[in-house]
Amino acid sequence: MSYLIEARNLSKSFGQKAVLQDLTFSLPSGEPIALIGPNGAGKTTLFSLLCGYLPASSGELTVLGHKPGSSALFGRVSALPQDAMLDPNFSLLTQLSFFGQLQGMSKAKALAESRRVLSLVDLAGSADLKATALSHGMRKRVAIAQALMGSPELVMLDEPTAGLDPVNALQVRQLIATLSGEASFIISSHNIFELERLCGTVLYLEHGKLVQQSAVQSAATQGYVTLTLEPGAYTDLLPQLRALPGVIAVSDSQKHEYVLQFDAELAPDFDLTLLMALRQFGWRYRQLTKGQTLEQQLFAVTAKQA
Amino acid sequence: MSAALSLFGRQTWLYSRFELQRLFLTPRGWFALAAFTTIWYFLLRYPIYQASVQLQEPEIQQMLSGMLGMVGMYNLLNWSLPELSVYWALTVFFMPLAVLFATADQTCSDRSRGTLRFLTLRSSRDSIFFGRFIGQILVQALLIGLSLLATLGLAVWRVGELPLSAINATLVIWLNLLIVLLPFTALMALCSALVRSSRLAISLAIVSIGVVTGSLGYLVWHFPDLRVVLEYLPGAQLPMLLGAQGWETLKHCGLPLLQTAVLLLIGRIVMQEKAL
Repeated sequence: MSYLIEARNLSKSFGQKAVLQDLTFSLPSGEPIALIGPNGAGKTTLFSLLCGYLPASSGELTVLGHKPGSSALFGRVSALPQDAMLDPNFSLLTQLSFFGQLQGMSKAKALAESRRVLSLVDLAGSADLKATALSHGMRKRVAIAQALMGSPELVMLDEPTAGLDPVNALQVRQLIATLSGEASFIISSHNIFELERLCGTVLYLEHGKLVQQSAVQSAATQGYVTLTLEPGAYTDLLPQLRALPGVIAVSDSQKHEYVLQFDAELAPDFDLTLLMALRQFGWRYRQLTKGQTLEQQLFAVTAKQA
Repeated sequence: MSAALSLFGRQTWLYSRFELQRLFLTPRGWFALAAFTTIWYFLLRYPIYQASVQLQEPEIQQMLSGMLGMVGMYNLLNWSLPELSVYWALTVFFMPLAVLFATADQTCSDRSRGTLRFLTLRSSRDSIFFGRFIGQILVQALLIGLSLLATLGLAVWRVGELPLSAINATLVIWLNLLIVLLPFTALMALCSALVRSSRLAISLAIVSIGVVTGSLGYLVWHFPDLRVVLEYLPGAQLPMLLGAQGWETLKHCGLPLLQTAVLLLIGRIVMQEKAL
């Protein structure tokens, strides 16, 4: 099976400091992949290795079967690098069309493609502006636009919605969701709820090590229900929930939010049982989610490992 | 292999062409052109024009020939027009310094701004490095050509005709100047690949030239047999070049071409290895 990305014993150090340690993973193409981890976990370094901006200290890494930075990947892999800016001397249109020409397009096609990607991020009217005339959010959107030039097979986005207002962040998420059928996305973000909505696979990095690689929904949906209640006083809530048939454990992960672990074989209709209990005790719920949230899934694992 | 070469050639040309676009289609380029025009107006109006007039005097010609002959520059006054003699003597020394400043920002700003990250996903680092270098050479070729045309114009205005030998001499000077400037442009390509700002690149180039020259001077002082090494420094061929005439000047082009090749090779390695 050919993978989108394959890493074997991949390490990267800056001097004595090991930033990535012995990472081994394979990522298939398909649903967007989330790259998650706390600050300093090595996400941006991994991104830089994938894009060929940095050489690995040891180990092997291939992207679409080629070494990162290889000419075979030009135009097939694109990225939104963190804090990268366009040249302030040229208009957005001039630069994007130049990128298009580098990717092998004719001048006319590159201009048309530039206008297309700018309109995807709602910046068609700013095509003749220079990068210095744009707000932070607009610069981010232009950087996303350049990543969509041509027909990339893999698009890597480092913090795509950081610094964007909610409307634009939503627009970017919708854009990724729409385009995820045409290209594979790898998204690094601190916004776990965003990744949960967009991604099918998660790579969780901590202290430069791969803590977890899993599918967002598969394991999490088996035997878990997350219940969010309306604010209010609920007497004997936890004992009543624990007494429901099939329940293994109940934890209150956040205020008014409870994660119920149950035996799926013993109680195949557990969600119905729970809804009946809610009605019986007069508990008003806001949300009932099958499975754990990505946050619970990841941090429960890391807490157990700690 | 040939597809890779063709891609490299196409992308390198795109980068080179983009440097011309930077000169002619951006406000920064227009300012550079305005500064270039102003400087050349003053150079033509005063040193070149005045000196050319003075050089018409037989006594001055005789005195200067004697003085220049003493330092081996017998042929400096033998160019077909005095304007070209003054132009040649002036530019061969001041242009390399100007080039250190004008070509300092080949890749450093793009690296510091992160723009290189956009570019390296679409083209090789070699295309960027050599494309920018060639772009700088194109810009120099164009600007030197324009300044030479202005100098010829001045001469025509003074003598009322344009001798054919002057066109030939202009071509010789144009080509020679380009070759003289090559190692300095290559040095700036290397310095630009090493640091993250044009100011630092200029400082690095000046300090490097100073340190290398000073160290070699010290070595030569203690080991006189090493004197020959001094002849390999950038610009070492200039006094000999001023002593030559016509197409014969090109016999001194080996050293700058070799220096350019070595500097570009080192610069390429730096560019390949440098983190973006």
